[in-house]
Amino acid sequence: MKKGMRNLFLLSVLLFVGMFAFAGGGGETKDDVITIGYAVFNVGIDSYETYHNENFIAECERQGVELIQLDAQGDIARQINQVENLMQKDPDVIVIWPVHGKAIVPVVKKAHDEGFKIVIANSPIDETGFDYITAYAGPDNTQEGRDAAEMMIEAFEKRGITGQKKVVELMGLPGYVTAIERSDGFQEVLAQHPDFTLLATEPTDWNREKATRAMEDLLVKYKDLQGVYVADDNLGIGALNALKEAGRAGEVIMTSACIFGEGYDAMKEGYIQGTCYQYSGLDAINTVKVAVKVAKGEEVDFLSTFESPKVTPDNMDDFKRPEY
Amino acid sequence: MIKTLKANSIYRTIRKVVITGPIWAVLLGVFIIASVVTPDFLSLRNLTNILLQSSLNGMLAIGMTFLMINGYFDLSVGTAMGFCAVLTIGMQPYGLITAILAALVAGLAIGAINGLFVVKAKINAFVVTLAAFIGLRGLIFIYTGERSIVGQVDGFATFGMSEILGFPTLALLMLVFLVIAEFTLRKTGHGRNTYAIGGNAEAARNAGVPVERTTFINFMLCGLGAAIGGIFIASRMNAATPMLGWPDTNLKIIATVALGGTKLRGGFGSMIHTLGGLLTLAIISNSMDLLNVPSFYNRLSMGLILMLVVYIDAKFKPTAA
Repeated sequence: MKKGMRNLFLLSVLLFVGMFAFAGGGGETKDDVITIGYAVFNVGIDSYETYHNENFIAECERQGVELIQLDAQGDIARQINQVENLMQKDPDVIVIWPVHGKAIVPVVKKAHDEGFKIVIANSPIDETGFDYITAYAGPDNTQEGRDAAEMMIEAFEKRGITGQKKVVELMGLPGYVTAIERSDGFQEVLAQHPDFTLLATEPTDWNREKATRAMEDLLVKYKDLQGVYVADDNLGIGALNALKEAGRAGEVIMTSACIFGEGYDAMKEGYIQGTCYQYSGLDAINTVKVAVKVAKGEEVDFLSTFESPKVTPDNMDDFKRPEY
Repeated sequence: MIKTLKANSIYRTIRKVVITGPIWAVLLGVFIIASVVTPDFLSLRNLTNILLQSSLNGMLAIGMTFLMINGYFDLSVGTAMGFCAVLTIGMQPYGLITAILAALVAGLAIGAINGLFVVKAKINAFVVTLAAFIGLRGLIFIYTGERSIVGQVDGFATFGMSEILGFPTLALLMLVFLVIAEFTLRKTGHGRNTYAIGGNAEAARNAGVPVERTTFINFMLCGLGAAIGGIFIASRMNAATPMLGWPDTNLKIIATVALGGTKLRGGFGSMIHTLGGLLTLAIISNSMDLLNVPSFYNRLSMGLILMLVVYIDAKFKPTAA
């Protein structure tokens, strides 16, 4: 019995020491080195974020910035705790890729009130939180929506289609800022072209299967639709499945606000006529640059967006196929 | 010779502590290691953060402790929390008080339904609460339209972030509930009946303990804990997402309570020990965040510690409840 107890203690001590062993060099921060505290949404959720993360870490190393990164794994409650924990580490700037643009506001306010500088990455925070952040670093979603509308109009012109043109829209998650902005940008441009009619806007919650279902329904409801705008290529592939079933793939013009690898392939096959090159690596590098400037106390634009150029079948060879 | 004697007496003391409440030895170990290896860990602010961060799981664990001492567990506790959080936010147009009451009633009702199926229909608690776990998630999706919802009463988030004399309000509330729960367990007939049923339901029934009523009430207490936890989390962000508490909050809570030394078969355990389990997991999570350790290690360490405690639990039987 006694021997058993001793072994047990040994075992437990080993376990604890083992658990913390990898903490070795983690602790100390030098004063002259900039520290970024980064609360990230969910590194493993999709390839966009995985590549974003790899590039984020690499850019921090390149700039000699110390990075404290905490992954909320998609859990907003956990993210709030992590932002509080980051405040303990006293970083020069806190970067948050919010799990939820509205729910994060109270803790962002708390950090701001305690004197922290905050940069929001990739997905905008709700407007009620604007007063508490220094900058938003991410894509210009509204511009992407506008660009997708312009590429849609050009594609119709290129095919010589005249008269009243009828299009539909598959948007992302209603209430999610990125989805709203992409939708607004598209509709803003379309409204300036009276020869275009937007028949319907369907929510898909960023879900490919839902995009397929929504497109199937739309094809039945509006037999004469000629174009579809999707909030990203992932939804585009979903819509494409429905178009293929209906035998209308390639005939119905499709443009998207954000490129994915599969969408790149679909464009090559002639199914997508335009998309925006919102590259995950650029997004990450831009965010680190903005965060470093904020940490140093330099001026940055409140909306520090990066460019996501238009990609069409004509210029697509100038762009690398995204890995994701 | 003298040295060994001394060592033996220290050893005996430690052994005693480990046997009556192994969680305290574990907690102490975790605390010491965390203070040594984690800079900033011992700051007052961080310690209150840890309490704040355990307040939500604490409410769920309090309810679960009642039920586990009774000899059952509730897999639906995480989704029940999510559902109550969603109600707290979604019902705000009818007033904050109405919303909070709706959440409390919903929590009690969920507990009552679980309890009825287990007590009256004699269906296995695993199956009943698993069904509630899945069904409630569906209900959350229907109610929210699969979207995150946002509160209208702005002061609600202020409450969730507020402090009383530098101490987080939510943590304070959780500790108050914990003390009341411990008192209920130790000093009331309901508490004694709960231990008796968990120890030996047949003997308790023969001794005239109202087995069904007591079990039913404990299921409702578990639901109530989930409801208060849901209100807490809703107030932390003044919003609710359909994925709150999904997928493994339930297992985390059961692990917390088991870590505190409450027997899965029932009859033994206490709220104070549950607090030990709660703090242990919170400290690990907090210090790993401070050390910039990837989140996966959190779960790994939680699993390891749970195994250790269950091992101690199985090896060294407590002498008295």
